[in-house]
Amino acid sequence: MISKKEIEKLAFLARLRLDEEEQRNVPGELESILQYIQKLSEVETSEVDPLFHFPELKNIVRKDEVREVDKKTQKRMIRMGKDKDDYLKVEFTL
Amino acid sequence: MSDTIRETQKKLRNGDISPKELLASFFSRIKERNKKTNALLAVYNRATQEMEEMNKNLPLYGSVFAIKDNILVEGRRCTAGSKLLEHYTAPFDATVIEKIKDKGGVIIGKANMDEFAMGSSTENSAFGPTRNPHDLERVPGGSSGGCAAALADGMCNAGLGTDTGGSIRQPAAFCGVVGFKPTYGTVSRHGAISMASSFDQVGPFAKSVEDAELIFDAIRGKDEKDSVTSELLRKEKKEKIKVGVPKECFVEGMEESVKEAMEEAISKIEGEDVQVENISIPSIGYALSAYEIIMASEVSANMARFDGIRYGLELERPSAKDLKEAYLINRGEGFGKEVKRRIILGTYALSAGYYDAYYIKAQKVRNIISEDFKKAFLSVDIIFTPTTPTLPFKIGEKITDPLSMHLSDIFTVTANLAGLPAITLPCGKKEGLPVGAQLLARRFQEENLFQAAKKFEKLWRK
Repeated sequence: MISKKEIEKLAFLARLRLDEEEQRNVPGELESILQYIQKLSEVETSEVDPLFHFPELKNIVRKDEVREVDKKTQKRMIRMGKDKDDYLKVEFTL
Repeated sequence: MSDTIRETQKKLRNGDISPKELLASFFSRIKERNKKTNALLAVYNRATQEMEEMNKNLPLYGSVFAIKDNILVEGRRCTAGSKLLEHYTAPFDATVIEKIKDKGGVIIGKANMDEFAMGSSTENSAFGPTRNPHDLERVPGGSSGGCAAALADGMCNAGLGTDTGGSIRQPAAFCGVVGFKPTYGTVSRHGAISMASSFDQVGPFAKSVEDAELIFDAIRGKDEKDSVTSELLRKEKKEKIKVGVPKECFVEGMEESVKEAMEEAISKIEGEDVQVENISIPSIGYALSAYEIIMASEVSANMARFDGIRYGLELERPSAKDLKEAYLINRGEGFGKEVKRRIILGTYALSAGYYDAYYIKAQKVRNIISEDFKKAFLSVDIIFTPTTPTLPFKIGEKITDPLSMHLSDIFTVTANLAGLPAITLPCGKKEGLPVGAQLLARRFQEENLFQAAKKFEKLWRK
């Protein structure tokens, strides 16, 4: 059983603040999922490799190069934040 | 307007109907029904003008799309069903949107969804649940429930969704339309908001298998902006189709009415050129467990980018005393319950000491499942399963029990684990509600899949 304290720690690591109701319910909800997942321990896997990629697919890579971006696109990117000239204004961090 | 894209195209090209009349019929349906179903989150009036200006010879001419709200359309809001992205405007078109526009399609609106595509009922949307047009007390399925409901209800004639564990196929089945998840790697995800990157695929909702194929042909292909895409398609024409039915799919917990519908569907396709045989894929029983771990792990990594600072959220001066607290508040208030649960589960599965026992173990089981399917496809061309174990359930019925909600995806997750193409199509009705049958093929063999699906579609419509 995952303890309430463990959940608190995981939530902090994941930068999530849980409200009181969540703090109460999440341990039980995760427990039922973890119990279901326990089924996997029945499977013999000592001779099996993990499947991370499908063999037919190869990574597509592109050159790491600086590309010119037109003014319109620059503005569009900046519009996502509060723009100030050609800078992107972000949250105060210190 | 219940015509397919093909039928609509013909009428438009012959001048039997004008773009204005076509779009007006969709808009009036939206006006009449969207308040009841909440299928669409945004409606674009410009679609009419766009179609009027379109070249009539383009392959998607006449198609009118509802787009799941986790796919970026330039200059439009893209919320992913989340409060966190409520004010986020997409700065560019997703590759699939670019292709749809280039090939003659128009977009009528954005469709509701479970937050960040996490859910099987579209009840997890920050903008209220979507209701099933066949019965407003029931869910449309999820996570792409808005697309499926809009299409089934005559608000559009096509849809585009994402499928990580069944998010196209399960709602398509619940709403009585065709839903297709392509082979992993055939369709670009650039501009689709990531959930679990080793499973995510973009795919169509359609009124017919032929329409689904038409949309797939338009959106597929290699894209340097999605590093695992490929042009590969394997062609193999078959005169006779061998269909395998895994016995593991007729499990406990499956509703009697769904089982009945499956037996009826199977008996209808058996014939001269279709041979049905019972097969066994023992590892199917472990698919959902493996999926849960891998999905949650990838979710916890992908969701890290949503800090409430970089995307969308116009921050009020936060009460936070430092950045750490700002993250805790933004993410704590911005994400809904299901998203938070999955992030925590994924963080747990990836943490030191548990990584091998959970994540690596699940990836090994995933390999066994993939190999088991490969073996099964040595003796059959197509695998047949139910799409869902139950009929569409009531709103509120499963929302407080995450595990029973996740069990809705028990037959669909296998295709994502093994990267297979999978299509669901209506195979009948029970208790007045649609039932879907799912067909799977080998990776990159969409051609065989469509061939079989078109054949069965005719037989099941009779």
